[in-house]
Amino acid sequence: MEENDYSIVRAVLAGDKEAYGALVARHSQSVFRVAFRITGNEADAEEVVQDAFLRGYQRLESFESRSQFGTWIYRIAVNCALNMMTKRKVETTHQIAEDADPAQHQVQIADSAAGPERLLMSREIESMQIAAMQSLTATEQTAFVLRHVEDRSTEEIAAALCIAPNAAKQAVFRAVQKLRRSLAPLRTNA
Amino acid sequence: MKHLAEEELVDHYYGEAAAPASAEHHLRECSLCAEAYAALRQDFASIKFPAVPARAASHGEQVWQSLRKSLPVYKKQKRHRMNFNLLQGLGYATAYVVLIAAVFFAGRQWEHRRYPNIQSAGTDRPAQPVIPIIVVVLGDHFDRSERLLVELNHANDASAVMPAKAEAQDLLSANRLYRESASRAGDRQLTAALDRLERVLVEIVNEPEGSSPAQLARLQKEMNIDGLLFEVRVLRSRIPDRQGSAVRTKGVSI
Repeated sequence: MEENDYSIVRAVLAGDKEAYGALVARHSQSVFRVAFRITGNEADAEEVVQDAFLRGYQRLESFESRSQFGTWIYRIAVNCALNMMTKRKVETTHQIAEDADPAQHQVQIADSAAGPERLLMSREIESMQIAAMQSLTATEQTAFVLRHVEDRSTEEIAAALCIAPNAAKQAVFRAVQKLRRSLAPLRTNA
Repeated sequence: MKHLAEEELVDHYYGEAAAPASAEHHLRECSLCAEAYAALRQDFASIKFPAVPARAASHGEQVWQSLRKSLPVYKKQKRHRMNFNLLQGLGYATAYVVLIAAVFFAGRQWEHRRYPNIQSAGTDRPAQPVIPIIVVVLGDHFDRSERLLVELNHANDASAVMPAKAEAQDLLSANRLYRESASRAGDRQLTAALDRLERVLVEIVNEPEGSSPAQLARLQKEMNIDGLLFEVRVLRSRIPDRQGSAVRTKGVSI
């Protein structure tokens, strides 16, 4: 029978460092999944996985037995991913400010037609969606991914982001509004 | 007929509507809202996220191997030692509190015996209300919040956002504590005001660096900073009243 997470945590705290490996093996896939969905990048997601399990180990003494280890490490991972997104957005802003050429950042929508043009259009849609996601703040983007893709409730999002439920709900709604505004041209071209 | 707002449609889509049956009924009856809901669903359907790349079964093991060398071993003895130190510290603290209480009580007894008139005069007077600690602390918090909101409200360019972010970050953690304390104490008005303030602080903290004046204007407009500023001023101006009514309302203590 598999040892439960809490008994593994107790073993780690009692000095059995190697036992933590079992927790990492058990939860790394789910942590990677949410990290990838938030960051949208494989390398960043791997970095978030390592950072989350490292922080988890360092804070293991604060883990409370009444919560699930999976839920606890998931929240840590969301926070790590949010921090990374904030950092990335700051870097992107600097880059855009350095070589600002508005013409480069314009997105053009191709006419609907068959063959290569349709392929081109799907690429344009993809780049438009990426631009729309980049227009969101890190909190809005994370809240939206947790709500829309991870299917988390407002309370769960609030707990993961350490904000009030109202603020979490507002972040999701603002993200939806911004995305709809950015993707409006698709509707008219459809 | 009251139409469903966009926020209500979004809530309904995510299954978090306050009254799902009534929303569903309205969508069947109202073609305008049904159309808006269909557009929302279409927008959501057009948002595609890349598939999560598959990880090998050994992924967890790989992660663990990359981490294990940098992790220290938890020492049980150290924990016991820490607990012992903590208990010892608590013991000393308790002894000090008892000593101070004894000295205070003895002093009061001595004073009452020596000046009995003071005691009788004191009993005639109504009991002084205890000023809740949070009133003093919140006064400062509201002062700082007001200054921040005023700066942001009058900012014309993005250079004002960076210093505001640091201040907002600082205020945010304190604001969470106050909101939770106010919520625990059942002060709904204060909780709601702190909740709104928190939302604005979160937005300021997450505002990207180098925001354009247009983004700044959007923040000012969307977060209704004018309205919140007014609310903060009203709450701050009521602090002396809150002190006066501390006995009735019990206030909030941290």
